Amino acid sequence: MSTFLIIVTYLIFPGGLFVVAGGLVYEYADRKLVARFQNRVGPRWFQPLADFVKLLVKEEIVPAGVNAGLFVWLPVAALAAALAAALYVPMAGLRPSWSFNGDLIATVYLLMMMTLCIGVAGANTSDRFSLVGAVRALTQLFAYEAPFLLALLGPAILAGSWRISEINGYAQGHLWMIVTQPLGFLVALVGLMGKLELPPFDAPEAETEIVSGALTEYSGRGLAFFRLGRDIELFIGLTLISAFYLGGLANPLQFLVKTLVLLLVTAGLQSLFARLRIDQTVGLWWRIGALLALVQLLILVILKTSGVPL
Amino acid sequence: MSLVTSMESISELAKSWDTHAVSPAENRYDIVVTRGNLLTIVAELLRTRWGFLTAITARDVSTASGSAPGKEGEIPADRHFEIYYHFCRGPAVLTLRLSLPHEKPSVPSICGILPSASIQERELAETFGIEVEGLPKAGRLFLSDDWPAGLYPLRKDTTPQSIRDFTAVAPPPPATVENDATPGKFTVPIGPQHPALKEPAHFELNVDGEIVTGVSLRLGYVHRGIEKAAEGRPWVQNLYLMERVCGICSHIHSMAYALGVETVAGIAAPPRAQAIRVLIAEMERIHSHLLWLGVAAHEAGFDTLFMYTWRDRETIMDLLEQVTGNRVNYSVNLLGGVKYDVDPSRADAIRRGLDRLEPRINHYLGIVTTDESFLRRTRGIGVFSTDQADFLGVVGPTLRASNVHRDVRVDAPYSAYRDFPVTPVYDDACDLAARVTVRVKELQESCRLVRAVLDALPPGDRAVDFPRRVPEGEAIIRVEAPRGELFYYVRSAGGISPDRVKIRTPSLANWAYVMSVAVGHKLADIPMIVVGIDPCFSCNDRTFLIRQGDRKGILGWDDLRRYAMQRYGRRAE
Repeated sequence: MSTFLIIVTYLIFPGGLFVVAGGLVYEYADRKLVARFQNRVGPRWFQPLADFVKLLVKEEIVPAGVNAGLFVWLPVAALAAALAAALYVPMAGLRPSWSFNGDLIATVYLLMMMTLCIGVAGANTSDRFSLVGAVRALTQLFAYEAPFLLALLGPAILAGSWRISEINGYAQGHLWMIVTQPLGFLVALVGLMGKLELPPFDAPEAETEIVSGALTEYSGRGLAFFRLGRDIELFIGLTLISAFYLGGLANPLQFLVKTLVLLLVTAGLQSLFARLRIDQTVGLWWRIGALLALVQLLILVILKTSGVPL
Repeated sequence: MSLVTSMESISELAKSWDTHAVSPAENRYDIVVTRGNLLTIVAELLRTRWGFLTAITARDVSTASGSAPGKEGEIPADRHFEIYYHFCRGPAVLTLRLSLPHEKPSVPSICGILPSASIQERELAETFGIEVEGLPKAGRLFLSDDWPAGLYPLRKDTTPQSIRDFTAVAPPPPATVENDATPGKFTVPIGPQHPALKEPAHFELNVDGEIVTGVSLRLGYVHRGIEKAAEGRPWVQNLYLMERVCGICSHIHSMAYALGVETVAGIAAPPRAQAIRVLIAEMERIHSHLLWLGVAAHEAGFDTLFMYTWRDRETIMDLLEQVTGNRVNYSVNLLGGVKYDVDPSRADAIRRGLDRLEPRINHYLGIVTTDESFLRRTRGIGVFSTDQADFLGVVGPTLRASNVHRDVRVDAPYSAYRDFPVTPVYDDACDLAARVTVRVKELQESCRLVRAVLDALPPGDRAVDFPRRVPEGEAIIRVEAPRGELFYYVRSAGGISPDRVKIRTPSLANWAYVMSVAVGHKLADIPMIVVGIDPCFSCNDRTFLIRQGDRKGILGWDDLRRYAMQRYGRRAE
């Protein structure tokens, strides 16, 4: 690849601008859908972009008693990790820009950076809401991360590869894995909602208890980056799950249809439930989520070793 | 608990205490007590579970006639304070009357016997300067922190001029007493500005991880001095003032006030007016409970239910607007009647509105009783036993959800509730889920009542003439506001404005519940528990803001600009 192409890959497509734009569009779709489910009007199409630009021009207040370096750079790290993850995922149904054996694990870790940064950002300030929020965010991380990884492991075992592009290719040529591994799909989708702290898993930022959780002290650029990072994670997460469980992503049209259907389901789930308390979230993941994912994995391993074609 | 048996039991008790008892009204008994036997009598009343303490009223008896505030420096010789402890049992009200000298008044605290009395005793100490012996030391509860020490707003000699004179030479207010949260604990502050609170209050929660280990409370951020203001306004103007005690249940306040003044004057509003008052009161309850259901759902993170209930609340708001012209302060009551009539076309509009609303309410009842994720946040949370609720004098749906059978509309029917009997709603689960269920079922009951009133609206006049001066006398009025029993004490000295109006709002009585169940719960449950009493801060805080030192007067635009430049100047350069 020429230097020019590499720069394009990083900055314009599929990394950089494309992912940013995609994240904002998907945030809009998510907000609009939830609003309609709740009998509200919802935002206009450019609202996420307007929010982002507005936050960028606002004053960034660094509160007393924090490590200023960490405070400023954590949002950047979170955003960078989310952007980097986009390079290994079949964005828009095209071949990922980079691929190596084991990139699935790398991507999962890159996606985890976000929550980790939010947790550290919350713990960095002396604000009590942030501290409680940080503890909750990290507690939740330990709850959903293992089941989520196990749920992504299922397709990898079937495909016999740790490479996202190969799993995507395998999924295109076989029966949709949502049919063969419904439990895994469920855990992965709900895991994604937990990862993004979407309702009912929004205890780490429960506004009626702890204002904005770990991000209470953030304003301006830092907040804009965290929010953008989360949008990008939503975008990538949906892509990853549809590539694995919804028969792979072969072209941009498939990509659009499959991810939007998935978004519709998550928006529905967001408006159906009351918020879970953090102890209930942890209980749910370890008692049910992890168990389901393990059962799914066990079934897969037994079927695969006994030579049943899937 | 019939009236007769209640009244008989009082006279027996009074005999055993060897006190002087009089019955000023059919349902009332007054007993004169002294500092010496107050505690014994209160303890005896509570031990025998005769009734519950509903309010503590204090009065500054300035002059023999008591009407106009005495001119400064001209304090009459017989000036003294009177404190009334009002106990209720069914329809009966027992008032313990205690007289205190004007110089260094002090009274023993009853909070050792009844912990929930401490909030009302603190109000007494702050507004009247009556020392309550044995009250745990704590910061201010109602008055603002910069209110000067030694100035007591509800004393008769406190006037706008006396306040100006006082503050010109006054010592600075005492340093704010730090919260009684234990040092070294991790404290989560909730309020005065916090997304969980729709109105300002301040809670300090000590937490150990997610578990709450201590709570302290500060109220008064929206204290507007309404009780004091009422003493300087004519009877009629006060009607509009009382309507503004609360933004949600405005009608019930003006109704309670009107009933009180009418009782003192010995004039009854015509039956049609009484029925219309009940009609609006029940429509107000529907609006208030729907609003509450939305807030409760939001606190639980269930925004979908929040949005839907508030959408449907618009139906009842529109109906109220159709009848009265207003969405919030309906301004329905007059002294001696009501201002608006309900003609058949309006009645039909209300019926059509209810046709739309009732299926929705039934649907919400289904949601709050069956939705697993919502029940996980309410079932078994904030459990308050029947015995505790009864003893601490909690009121309203909070009380009825603890299965205490007490509802003023049933126990002591006022206005037209005699003609339109209420079927009260109780629940024996005693938890938050029960509080939700009770309120939603009360919505159904209110809809039924509204229809009943519309179907049998008595003919006749809307109002009768009411005199400008009200003869000397006093009245105690208890009504069932959406949040519970609302207590008004109205006293006239024969003048054109009241001598004393005491308001004990339901939210004030219900703090006892929050303070006693919060400890041990998870942080996430606290907003739910607070919202479980449907707190109404504007009701329960009713100030003046006095600025001292360099913060004189109100900051204008130029002052603000100068202040901002001082504050940020360093950075700009």
